[in-house]
Amino acid sequence: MAQQTLDPDVEVRGPAGGRRRRAPYGERAGVALLFLSPWVLGALLLTVGPMLASLYLSFTDYDLFTSPTWIGLANYRDLFADDDRFLAAVWVTTRYVLISTPLKLAAALAVALLLNRASRAQGFYRSAFYAPSLLGASVAVALVWRVMFDADGVVDSALSAVGVHTGGWVSSPRYSLGVLIALSVWQFGAPMVIFLAGLKQVPPELYDAAAVDGAGWWRTLRSVTLPMLSPVIFFNLVLETIHAFQAFTAAFVVSGGRGGPIDSTLFYTLYLYLKGFNEFRMGYASAMAWVLVLVVAAVTGVLFRTARLWVFYAGER
Amino acid sequence: MWRYRRPRAVGRAIVLTALGAVLAATGACGSDGGSGSSGPVTIRFAWWGNPDRAEVTNKAVDLFEQRNPTIKVETSFAEFNAYFQKLATEIAGGAAPDVLQMDYRYVREYADRNTLADLNTGDSKVDTSGVTQQLLSGGTVGGKLYGIPPTQNTQVFSYDFAQWEKAGAAAPKENWTWADLQASAQKVSDSTQRKVAGVGDFGGIEDWFEVYLRQQGKTLYTPEGKLGYAAADVEKWWQMTDGLRRSGAATPAALTTKMDGSQQNDPVFQKKASSGFGYDSGFTPKTWELMGREFKLAPFPSDTGKIGQYAKPAMMFSIAQRSANKGAGAKLINFLINDPDAGKILGMSRGLPANAKLRDQVGAGLTGPPQVGFQYEQAVGPKLEAAPPPPPKGAGTVKSTFQRVYDDVIFERSSIPAAAQKFMTEAEKAIAAG
Repeated sequence: MAQQTLDPDVEVRGPAGGRRRRAPYGERAGVALLFLSPWVLGALLLTVGPMLASLYLSFTDYDLFTSPTWIGLANYRDLFADDDRFLAAVWVTTRYVLISTPLKLAAALAVALLLNRASRAQGFYRSAFYAPSLLGASVAVALVWRVMFDADGVVDSALSAVGVHTGGWVSSPRYSLGVLIALSVWQFGAPMVIFLAGLKQVPPELYDAAAVDGAGWWRTLRSVTLPMLSPVIFFNLVLETIHAFQAFTAAFVVSGGRGGPIDSTLFYTLYLYLKGFNEFRMGYASAMAWVLVLVVAAVTGVLFRTARLWVFYAGER
Repeated sequence: MWRYRRPRAVGRAIVLTALGAVLAATGACGSDGGSGSSGPVTIRFAWWGNPDRAEVTNKAVDLFEQRNPTIKVETSFAEFNAYFQKLATEIAGGAAPDVLQMDYRYVREYADRNTLADLNTGDSKVDTSGVTQQLLSGGTVGGKLYGIPPTQNTQVFSYDFAQWEKAGAAAPKENWTWADLQASAQKVSDSTQRKVAGVGDFGGIEDWFEVYLRQQGKTLYTPEGKLGYAAADVEKWWQMTDGLRRSGAATPAALTTKMDGSQQNDPVFQKKASSGFGYDSGFTPKTWELMGREFKLAPFPSDTGKIGQYAKPAMMFSIAQRSANKGAGAKLINFLINDPDAGKILGMSRGLPANAKLRDQVGAGLTGPPQVGFQYEQAVGPKLEAAPPPPPKGAGTVKSTFQRVYDDVIFERSSIPAAAQKFMTEAEKAIAAG
């Protein structure tokens, strides 16, 4: 309404304006739907449709080429009762989520705090730290990572020069997951930018008050910055946790598509891919996908539950 | 008033036009499939291999296009594992290449799923009169010909003879044994302080295990499509190869685990191993250059007097069942397997030509690595056995499981008997599910 009065054309329209006033919602809903249609269609055809199809397939034996046959819950039962590699994949993914997410958020927050000071070069630093995230899902970065951490790569050579012989990290079952975690942590740019935006929102008078009270840097961080930032931390935590569950590209590229050595980088999604496209067991892979959906939903639900305990919204209390 | 309405009208028009364009595009795609024989057609041809094979293949394809101006061929290639991952997705999505390179191990899997065309009838008929029946049977499933082997190959041991000589290692000779290999490999490793291993660890590759089995009169699969060996056989094989690794004669685990059939991950190409097992179907004029030194070839060592190797269809050319241009595809295959000029260009890059008429002609013109490959085939040929029938569904999974479980052995995560047992359990499951 406010907008209409600002528009001189609408002011002079008279009858048409009257008609609009009689049925404002009907017409607007039509326009809104029209503009939404690309997204609505996209969501229905490219997301909801395939998801429902995969739900159906998860109850079938389907090899990609011949029509699926209904086998009920057999896929789900085999997953938990008869597949050691599935359990290995769950364990690898759990460790990855639990280690990489907090490290990544800590790195993002630390750098955001450093960058939150007024400085002439701030724009440059912000871009520089954000750049790895832009390259994030790309195969090229994963390939570079693999070469760096391979035997005789940059990392191995540098460590050997100071007398630490580790061999290639990529082909060592002990270190290979660490390489992928490091890659994930290095790509902290996206949460960092969100943290920066959050930091700008903290009212300066709170810092002034804290300073007057004689609070040091640590005390200010704990009692002002972190509480005020907690909604943003929560947002980033949820987002990054979900991302970590879905990690695929890096593991696929670094392990040459096999999740090795000895399944040490067999991420859940990678195993799902191997089952579907290497062994042609699409029904089984679909069941895995749905288990992942349920687990991610449950974890997110738990996070939301705990949020009540530690997330502080200004104006609430 | 018109000033208010107009933008909306334009907006609607844009949306409608866009929708129309989308519909038209889908419509066009839908009607495209039926046309075919008349006018210029484009077909896709995909294979697995390394860049040097791609170079000669593309040269042969260029010649084909010159001779058939109405057919355009788009080519693509990848290394073995990546190739089959992509192929499965493409076939399932209805976007298979028209002409594709098929492996002996997978032909039954794809044929049974009705994704390949019969090359003996209709548009897709190819002249196979020059190819021996023995090789053709490798591409025959249920009486239908789903793949034509352009070449034959066999298993081979190749070694850096200069390095072996320098290390004082005895070169492979007639009737050499696995113990001979071990002694020689050990000498090479010792002479280089283990910087270069005597042999690339071959324990995880099912193909070489198969030769070992055949030397003892066993097979990888029974004619009924069951596993032709027991856990004890796997155990014995791994005991031997693991012994080589522990003594330093074979490559360490970190190198072995990366072997995936590509040149860049092959310890022999990386100069980290002075010998290794393989197929003799990859020799191009550039091979020595890529390996950085020259190699000599020998048959497998054996303790039983039987070499266990066989004349294998090195690969096959197939036509996708859903290809809209089977005729053009058949023409291309026909050219690649039967044309003397194509034979000259391709040389030994896929192995020894299957067409007997081309064989001598191709052999006469060879120099360098392809000639070494050709001479090896001539020498070992009389000892080769006939190839076993195409393996059952699930064989691809068994092969990758064999290598994966062997990692447990070389990283010392489980005992050899336990690993062998684990492999057998998974392999039987894969065959049953396939």
